[in-house]
Amino acid sequence: MITDRSGKVIENVCDLKYLTEMMGGKKHLIKGIMDSFLVQIPEELKAINDAILQVNYSVIKNFTHTMKSSVSILGVSMLIPVLKEMEELAASAMNIEKIKELNQELTLICHLAIEEVLRDKEKFI
Amino acid sequence: MDKKNKVGIFIVDDNKVFSLALKSEIEVAFKDVCRIEVQAFETGEACMKKFKEEKPQIAILDYHLNSKNVNAADGIQVLDMIKKANKDTNVIILTSDDNIDIALKSFHHAASDYVVKTETKFKKINYSLFNLIKVSEARDEAKTYKSVSLVLSVLIALVIGAVIAITIIKPSLLK
Repeated sequence: MITDRSGKVIENVCDLKYLTEMMGGKKHLIKGIMDSFLVQIPEELKAINDAILQVNYSVIKNFTHTMKSSVSILGVSMLIPVLKEMEELAASAMNIEKIKELNQELTLICHLAIEEVLRDKEKFI
Repeated sequence: MDKKNKVGIFIVDDNKVFSLALKSEIEVAFKDVCRIEVQAFETGEACMKKFKEEKPQIAILDYHLNSKNVNAADGIQVLDMIKKANKDTNVIILTSDDNIDIALKSFHHAASDYVVKTETKFKKINYSLFNLIKVSEARDEAKTYKSVSLVLSVLIALVIGAVIAITIIKPSLLK
């Protein structure tokens, strides 16, 4: 269990209610999106990590920007302010140390989200 | 809405999770409304390869199409390519930035609509699609009526012409 920025304890980082409603409960569609998420998120995390190592603000900005859409589909809303802050810092090409700190939070929550999706995917087979 | 004619929709977004979710959402939302075929592409270049043969009625483009691949064409460049290939395709531009300059730029390049990726993005996109499909159908009907009335006018003119010609050349035929 982790806490969000306001200190509230979060049991699940993903909220699949939105996705389930959006897909009209169609299991194969939900599973397809989950599969894409499981492939795409590690790729995006890797791209951000590499960009941080190379202090490439432009790539950090682009990938944090695109990740906002991916995580919002799976209802990982607690990542939106983290990604927004990273994107803003990268856009102004400053404070790589703060970006690194936020990236740790991003990586942790993404890994929890991946675990949850892997676990919940079974329900949509 | 017309269930006979198929509406082709192209989605171009380099975020696969997003485009897959959007594709599925549109298919679910329009299932009982009209026949649609949605195809998703990761780049504008891939979209254009298929575009020329299919000429879809609607294209939904992400503004930041080159966020992952910096060498890829951006949303506005793809919008220009689409309009050059078929000016009748309606284009909806999507972006996470609520920025008036992007909206104005999109409309200046002949986009039909501009949707910001907020929490209600899918509802807004569906609403926009619904309107565009209705406008497109109305335009097609107007074209059909125009053609029908043109054919009727020509026929009537021919009949009148024939009657006048007969009256002059052989009036006995009309008695």
